[in-house]
Amino acid sequence: MPREEYQVPTAGAGASAGGMTRGATGGERHESRSVMTYICGDCGGNVTLSKDALVACPHCAGRVLYKERTKRMVQFEAR
Amino acid sequence: MAPSAEELLRRNTVGINKETVSNVASTDFPGHFPGEDHAFSIERFRSAFSVQFHRNELNDASFSLIGIDASLANAFRRILIAEIPTLAIEDVYIENNTSVIQDEVLAHRLGLIPFNGGRDGIHNFLKWYKKPEAGEDPYANSFDWNTVRLELNVTCTVNPDAAPNENDPLKAYNHAHVYAKDIVFVPTGRQVEYFSGDNAIVPVNPDILIAKLRPKQTINLAMHMHKGIGADHSKFSPVATASYRLLPLIHITKPIIGPDAEKFQRCFPQGVIGLEKVTREEASKSGSGYEGHAGEFKAVVKDSMKDTVSREALRHPEFEGKVKLGRRRDHFIFSIESTGQWDSDELFLEAVKHLKLKCKKLEQQVINMVQ
Repeated sequence: MPREEYQVPTAGAGASAGGMTRGATGGERHESRSVMTYICGDCGGNVTLSKDALVACPHCAGRVLYKERTKRMVQFEAR
Repeated sequence: MAPSAEELLRRNTVGINKETVSNVASTDFPGHFPGEDHAFSIERFRSAFSVQFHRNELNDASFSLIGIDASLANAFRRILIAEIPTLAIEDVYIENNTSVIQDEVLAHRLGLIPFNGGRDGIHNFLKWYKKPEAGEDPYANSFDWNTVRLELNVTCTVNPDAAPNENDPLKAYNHAHVYAKDIVFVPTGRQVEYFSGDNAIVPVNPDILIAKLRPKQTINLAMHMHKGIGADHSKFSPVATASYRLLPLIHITKPIIGPDAEKFQRCFPQGVIGLEKVTREEASKSGSGYEGHAGEFKAVVKDSMKDTVSREALRHPEFEGKVKLGRRRDHFIFSIESTGQWDSDELFLEAVKHLKLKCKKLEQQVINMVQ
């Protein structure tokens, strides 16, 4: 997607922008998926955190957590 | 009044002096020399032109074009680099990439890998791909005759058979390195007819390193290849290098004898200057410069083509006035290294074909202009 077409997803415009913001976390979707999965930077394991949980890996107590990569395909030009 | 052979050689030589070059512009055009006819005619070109092959291998060809103008030789070189089409990876669809190499860098690396496949399929079956306009279906123009699909799916795992203290990642893990040979060609539609068996589309060099992985890291992507030209992106250029140089000329004007001859030989690359014994006949001739030197070594030019024209001989005072360096203006030593999708000699013929086509187009335009 060219940079010019990108729209910053906002809570208000999220629903109306249609396809462009598909998959962006709108207001109501956020509540239903309140448990998020992260990847621990120290041990590489999956960490599930709920809303008010302590930000730390339960296996190794590592405090650096990474967000998971999108499950969607990403297209690049080989240039 | 035809010019003498000496005069012709002078006109045809670019002078190479200690710190300058002289006589760089060609003068064989009409009106430059009064009373001489230098108009271009195809018969005259044909009788003066010749091609000599020095080396002809798949990925490296070297040959001389003799009796051609620099404008034409340069046109061939530029067509070789920028206008002969090849097939290369253009779009990369990344499903997953957890390696340390970033998506866009990975895509760029993939694009630069040269591929080879059935020549008939690549040259005749595959046609140009037109990029869909913005808003159009992104795959609207993708067909089996303009798009080749490749896939790369690699996951690194721990090798259970490795020694516990193994330090070499290639032995400790499976797929620690991702190579070009891991790319899989997926034929679609009529591509099965053209690209099966030995004609399959494969990387020219299977051992090109694409990425390095560690256990649990994975690369999972698909690629689309299209035809393109080097003017668009250098990954489409069919040559690694395509260059020419002018034939070096070394003219020994006064004899170089004895230890000087050996020093003179060392001023040039190996094989350029040879040492010969001065014969009794030469030594007995007065005014030749060899008097009384019978049996000593003298320097002779053996193969000036091997010279790199470093001008080292011009630095030493003992050779001053004894040697003249130059280059032949109409002798082009081409060197073409193919990246593998074409044969090197085939590439030059293709360049000639392209130039011919351009001339035909221009001719039609001129005709239209006159009408």
